[in-house]
Amino acid sequence: MFGNRVEGLALTLPAAVFAAALFLLPVGILLSEAFRTPEGWSLGAYWDFFASPRNRTVFWRSLALAAEVAAASAVIGYAAAYAIVSLPPKSRGRVFGLVILPLMISPVARTYAWLVILGRTGFVNQALVGMGILDTPLRILFSETAVFIGLLQLFLPLMIISLVSAMENMPRDAIPAARVLGANWAQVFLRVILPLTREGLVIGGTLVFTGSLTAYITPAILGGSKVLMLETLLYQRVAVANDFVSASVIAMILIVMSFSANLLLKRMASARRARA
Amino acid sequence: MSEFLSLEDLTLAYGGSVAVDRLNLAIRQGELIALLGPSGCGKTTTMRAIAGLLAPRSGTIRLDGKDITRVAPSRREVGLVFQSYALFPHLSVFENVAFGLRLRKEPDLAARVAEGLATVGLSDFADRAPAALSGGQQQRVALARSLVMNPKVLLLDEPLSNLDARLRLEMRMELQRVQRETGVTMVFVTHDQAEALALADRIVVMRGGAIEQVGTPEQIWTEPASGFVADFVGFETILPDPETGGALAWRPAAVTLGSGPHSGVIRGASFAGAHREYVLDTPLGVVKAETPASAPPLAPGAEVAFDLPRERAVRLASA
Repeated sequence: MFGNRVEGLALTLPAAVFAAALFLLPVGILLSEAFRTPEGWSLGAYWDFFASPRNRTVFWRSLALAAEVAAASAVIGYAAAYAIVSLPPKSRGRVFGLVILPLMISPVARTYAWLVILGRTGFVNQALVGMGILDTPLRILFSETAVFIGLLQLFLPLMIISLVSAMENMPRDAIPAARVLGANWAQVFLRVILPLTREGLVIGGTLVFTGSLTAYITPAILGGSKVLMLETLLYQRVAVANDFVSASVIAMILIVMSFSANLLLKRMASARRARA
Repeated sequence: MSEFLSLEDLTLAYGGSVAVDRLNLAIRQGELIALLGPSGCGKTTTMRAIAGLLAPRSGTIRLDGKDITRVAPSRREVGLVFQSYALFPHLSVFENVAFGLRLRKEPDLAARVAEGLATVGLSDFADRAPAALSGGQQQRVALARSLVMNPKVLLLDEPLSNLDARLRLEMRMELQRVQRETGVTMVFVTHDQAEALALADRIVVMRGGAIEQVGTPEQIWTEPASGFVADFVGFETILPDPETGGALAWRPAAVTLGSGPHSGVIRGASFAGAHREYVLDTPLGVVKAETPASAPPLAPGAEVAFDLPRERAVRLASA
């Protein structure tokens, strides 16, 4: 594209300097905080962090919830994506627009809406009590269930978008071809749809998992201090305790988990390919 | 031979629109049937219903004595070669052909796949990816993939339309050979009358979701039952017959140009190698005629006498 490499490098230099000075350097300093002690470099802060049972609970809860949200969104996402690609082109665009619509609404507004829906006098409880299914309203808010529901609603569109585009790239008639060759729906999914959409699943899964792991507003509002997640714990350590070392540890854990999730999903996808 | 595959009062619909309306058709074992018609006539829809990919609104499909109307596609023992071939891009040629056999837990898998690939002349391509094959080779893989399942009926959707002229002839002979060797009952869908005439034992001409005529290629070619079929097989001049109230139809070659009781103006002329084709505007209507290439050419705009000999026309019940 460019006559010489120097010209190209010169053009990227401002952006590179900007990113290095204002992003990489501060992040590096912040993350190194946890390794620096008066006695020199040490992993002690990590040891201390995981020594606390409460922190371990928060760690496993965050990991499990993010994984559960990713898994649930994959199940719902495949069904929704198949339904969408089966529609005639005109209504496909319309339904796809409805899927994207929530992404245009602020997550704060969306999360507050869940307070209205899931609260003691919200309409889920009113309906359940009104129909005589329950005697007293269910306590949904400030539980893992509430955070799960909020995160699922928040990130499901990303999974659906990834899977729809993956399915649109499948050869036309691959599914009916498999059915005529004797495959039931489970076999059609495992032998044809899954292998042909694994890239979309990896992308969608990474987006949903890392999104759920690093979301702050939803666990803060729907989980509160009762259901602490890594992200809300991080905020608490900084804002309440002024404990930047713990915050740095948590930030590092989040980064490592996000990258590992992506690598793991990619590996799962390519292992399937190698076998096929 | 008695009927092997029968469609009884079959009505097929997508949502609110009826694509095929109370269709009745009986096919014998080992027959090669062409469903012929323009796009939108319901031929592909009918084929998908036979394969079980579309549930009929009403009517019955019977195969080999059994009612299969509500049987899942996976248990119908019907093969389908898609127009797009629909090979699985993540599987090798071998695994594509093995797909159905694996699901069936075929004990003799490797041998059966090898046999299937040999039938279509692709033994050396087992380890290739489908994307590395030409269109014609991909289609033969799709054919092998269906054939190894020993289907009772093999359905083919526009099997020749994606191939170039040379491959088309090759594939046509290939299909006839496979049909001869395996004796499988074949139903193929086409919009090309030449293809249907060359391949089929019997042709089912469809129009607007209904059968227009069923017959051997010779019958369809020489005794079209309606103006629609006549037009489809090249009787391009169709005029009402005042004597019978029906209609008469002529091929271009049956029209005498240069002499006769009628006259018309040449609107279009084109050279087609072995002959010249003319379109005439006449008081009777549009007439299409041809002359041997050796005859002197006629210029557009010229007035010319012509005759429509009754003995060279086919009689139709209606135009």
